[in-house]
Amino acid sequence: MKYTGHSGKEIVERVLPPQEAKKRIKGLKRIAVTDRVARECIDLAYGFFTPLQGFMGKEDVESVCQRMTLTEGTLWPIPIILDIAREEIKQKGIKEKDTILLTYHDRNLAILEIEEIFNYNKLALEQAVLGTTDLKHPGVKMYNALKDTFISGKVTLVNELKFNSPFAKFWYTPLQLRKIFAEKGWERVVAHQTRNVPHTGHEWLMKGAWFSANGDLPVEELKTGILVSCIIGPKRVGDYIDEAILLGQQKLHEAKYFREDIHMVSFILWDMRYAGPKEAILHAIIRSNLGCTHHMFGRDHAGVGSYYDPYDAHRIFDKIPEGSLNIKPVRILEWWYCPVCGEVTYSGLCGHTKNRQPFSGTMIRSMIQDKVKPTKLIMRPEVFDVVMENADKYGFGSPFCTEEYLKKRQAVFELS
Amino acid sequence: MEESCSINIWINEERSEKLAHAGLAHLTKDVLAGMKILPLHCTKGQKDRILKLYPMAKYDSATTKSIELLPAKVKDKLFDLIIEKKSLNIIEEFLKDVE
Repeated sequence: MKYTGHSGKEIVERVLPPQEAKKRIKGLKRIAVTDRVARECIDLAYGFFTPLQGFMGKEDVESVCQRMTLTEGTLWPIPIILDIAREEIKQKGIKEKDTILLTYHDRNLAILEIEEIFNYNKLALEQAVLGTTDLKHPGVKMYNALKDTFISGKVTLVNELKFNSPFAKFWYTPLQLRKIFAEKGWERVVAHQTRNVPHTGHEWLMKGAWFSANGDLPVEELKTGILVSCIIGPKRVGDYIDEAILLGQQKLHEAKYFREDIHMVSFILWDMRYAGPKEAILHAIIRSNLGCTHHMFGRDHAGVGSYYDPYDAHRIFDKIPEGSLNIKPVRILEWWYCPVCGEVTYSGLCGHTKNRQPFSGTMIRSMIQDKVKPTKLIMRPEVFDVVMENADKYGFGSPFCTEEYLKKRQAVFELS
Repeated sequence: MEESCSINIWINEERSEKLAHAGLAHLTKDVLAGMKILPLHCTKGQKDRILKLYPMAKYDSATTKSIELLPAKVKDKLFDLIIEKKSLNIIEEFLKDVE
């Protein structure tokens, strides 16, 4: 069965069977790629970035930066680029029209059919995508660290990915998710993007978004699902460990805070640019390729510091042409705890503004760091328990990334 | 005016009882759905010394104005000192001990 993704294009998987891969890679020049590029090769090859099937050329990069569209007019907010050092191109005699082998940790990853080798002004890219060139912005740091030259072309995986536990049970490609949604009978699916262990504020974000997405559908037989779509990418000291995020989210339906038939957990591989509103558009595109019909956006989605207004990522959806996106944004204000109401409630409904006790990620991390179990109004006890259990199992005793975790952690995936 | 900074010690049942015995229970603050903290104030100089001693810790200048990600053992030690001295004025003694 064919599935349509962003811009009405078919979702195509570009993965070679082992025998064919063996033949195709023979004698190819090799380039070792970074973690980010490896993740994006996988995204491209499995259709997460549909309609893209490869890294962008200069015209597309320029068009994305200036107009937020690909050259052919498809809405696209962030360039997908492969950087390489000019020196390496020279040394290896790489030229346009060549096919090269991309390797990752000395293993064969993908072939790249080079269409163009080009340069692009990184400052212009930062300004266009992030709205700043401030060196303190993590996206600027990422772009500044790119090598001086870019190569474009279609990417095809030549090796099998082996996801380690617990990642394997949460890894679904867009085509796999489409089939699962159909099996579950979900006509509408609302995506919840996260890089967090869930507290009840997150839980209510999802519940509120489910009501919005379900809207006018009959309720006797539920046909709306929630896809928790965790972001797995680079980590920093102090972040929650990936394993605790996935297993903590999963616990919400295992412990029946969500019905199992309306909630599932998965992840995507992505290096956050912290591009605020533009990244919100990209996240919506990726989730539309996964088969989601709705995407929730809370306060300060994909933001960092004070570079963006907390609701810029909502407003950008008013500025894009109608019909350019096949997914509806669900815009959400804050959920907070109200001691007068005695419950977690929605800031758009509760009038006890002066009494509110907002959820603060920092505050909740601080409780967990101190190993003080939050009340169930803040974090479900089963979630806290699974987080602490996995701190021992995967995090060298901590549910947060430490230097030790970053050095010794198990890989998310390996290549054979 | 010097910017205020604190180390927030989360209060569970066990700590709550110890604070009551020490006559300090009234110093806790309800911050979220019944979860209480004991805010331990420190000066800028003390803050800098703590961050130097525990490089994994961070000062959250944006939201809580507190030193976060201190190891749980450090917080335990601070709390034990508070109970022993029956006072929140213990940062200097703590620093002298660990420096």
